[in-house]
Amino acid sequence: MTSQPLTIHSWPRAIMHIDADAFFASCEQAIHPELKGRPVITGKERGIVAAASYEAKAKGVERGMRLFEAKKVCPDVVLLPSDYETYSLFSIRMFEILRRFSPDVEEYSIDEAFVDLTGLRRSFHGPYSDIAQRVQETVAKELGISASIGVSLTKVLAKVASKHKKPCGLTIIPGRDIHIYLANLPVEKVWGIGPNTSAFLRKFSITTALEFAGSKEEFIKAYLSKPYQEIWHELNGRSVYPVTRESKSGYKSISKTRTFTPPSRDETFIFAQLSKNLENACIKARRYNLAASRLIIFLRGQDFRDTGVELKLTRTTAYPVEIMESLKEGFREVYKHDTLYRLTGVVLAGLQPEMDVQYTIFDDVPGIEKMARVYSAVDELSERFGKHTVQHASSLPAKLQAQHEGDRGDTPVRKEELFRGENRRQRLGLPVLNAKV
Amino acid sequence: MKMFLLTVNECSPIICFIMRELQNIREAKLKSRLDAVARFYKQQGRMPSFSEIGDMLGMRSKNAVFKFVNRLEDIGVVERDHTGRLIPRSLVSGARVLGTVEAGFPSAAEEELADTLSFDDLLVGNREATFLLKVSGDSMTEAGILPGDMVIVDRSQTPKSGDIVIAEVDGEWTMKYLRKRGDMVTLIPANHKYKPIRPRNELKIAGVVTAVVRKYK
Repeated sequence: MTSQPLTIHSWPRAIMHIDADAFFASCEQAIHPELKGRPVITGKERGIVAAASYEAKAKGVERGMRLFEAKKVCPDVVLLPSDYETYSLFSIRMFEILRRFSPDVEEYSIDEAFVDLTGLRRSFHGPYSDIAQRVQETVAKELGISASIGVSLTKVLAKVASKHKKPCGLTIIPGRDIHIYLANLPVEKVWGIGPNTSAFLRKFSITTALEFAGSKEEFIKAYLSKPYQEIWHELNGRSVYPVTRESKSGYKSISKTRTFTPPSRDETFIFAQLSKNLENACIKARRYNLAASRLIIFLRGQDFRDTGVELKLTRTTAYPVEIMESLKEGFREVYKHDTLYRLTGVVLAGLQPEMDVQYTIFDDVPGIEKMARVYSAVDELSERFGKHTVQHASSLPAKLQAQHEGDRGDTPVRKEELFRGENRRQRLGLPVLNAKV
Repeated sequence: MKMFLLTVNECSPIICFIMRELQNIREAKLKSRLDAVARFYKQQGRMPSFSEIGDMLGMRSKNAVFKFVNRLEDIGVVERDHTGRLIPRSLVSGARVLGTVEAGFPSAAEEELADTLSFDDLLVGNREATFLLKVSGDSMTEAGILPGDMVIVDRSQTPKSGDIVIAEVDGEWTMKYLRKRGDMVTLIPANHKYKPIRPRNELKIAGVVTAVVRKYK
């Protein structure tokens, strides 16, 4: 069974998965040319490794490590504060480059995307591997970052392919070769199969992706739920998951978390952090015309332990003013005076389109409509003068105190070195090269 | 519309006033609807479909949308391609097309304005490959590039002889004129204080300078 191809169709569909290598660190190396080839990590302001370049990974630096540990294993590492503004610009650019090749681009995360290449061999005068190579070269040339690419018949297989060789990998898995790539792949490495499912499969002595893919349909149907049946089809080269072109328009939940340094036990300050997160989450919800019915609050202590609470909101809304009472209530429940906190988080859940929210008889309709006008004015002001131009007073302590105190190097260069006309909130939407010329 | 205006002109002052008010209200309504469409275009980067326009403006029937779109087409704000999808014309700049066409006297100036470039379009060619760089050195002063200036760098262009390039020479980054003579590549400064550079080892070119921006105030 194991040596036989799973399908003889080479390319019923061609789906590409692109995954930027050590994305944040690569972006930093692209805008700081002197850092090319050196071990770089980002996340300085958070005190932990957010991303490590391959040079740093080679020396044993891992994601999530504390900075002093990283320095111990790799003394010559370059520590940089996260510059999300630049990373987002690179991310958008990568997706735009992909759209030059195919309109069917699914932005899966900040550094990953799926692209449906089916039928494009004709327009690019070459096999899918050539198209993939051109994508890789364009990204490398124009953005100065490397990416790993996998092309196969389905999304799950494309992910197997892009992971097969990293960094800068280019792996093509046509239908007749699927079994070769799945033979040595542990089943838990397959996208969507978690530790519980793989432990369950082990009971049936299924340990590799090939053994899973080669199982009989009756077995899969009898023992596994629909998502896993779909993965089984995908591994067999039958595409189930479509590449969805829509850039994210809907969310199931919106979460906003921020670390602050140094850690604090100041009640007003920590609540201000939460309040700011709530405002940010609401801004995002309003941007997508969504409203939340549930609120999750959590605090992370210096010992990295989380405490949290989930509350049901009295009204489905995206206006902080209406959620503030619940936020206070939840905060009182979670906050402990003697704990040192390093992070707060707010999650808006139970989201639904704002249009679908119905008034109940107890709602103060004129009040709500007034609120709608107030917040649309606030949003308009923010668009013109920058985020948080108008904000809740409860968030003020978070604004007055820098998010991260300490070394000067905790703010990214982009926020410090401004061009004339730029300000702290609004800058040109183009990444800046940091070369001395 | 011109017909309509003619009748207005022939009416008594009071009716004329009412008609004008009516027209103002209509114009304001059209303007607000048009703004909604323009906002959609700005946010999504594409024109809305008919049903999206309907949702957006609270029109229940496709026919209402159809009439609205026809109107926009009449005043030259949008166009339709052969499949019936919308193409923006003077929508983005928010040009004052409305008032003048309504009055029946489209001015030549307005017609000319319909196709304009923003500074962004002018300065940024291939957006995905464009980077900014703040100049710190004085090696290009005689080319008019001063310390503190912002240069716009395109990474996708193939450097040609005579281009100003950002290059890495023997581990140092520099901005110079590129000169190619046969196999020989030289980097030439625009400042007589400095000498031309012949890269000894490898020459890496990070991008071509396509513009320089200096803002005084």
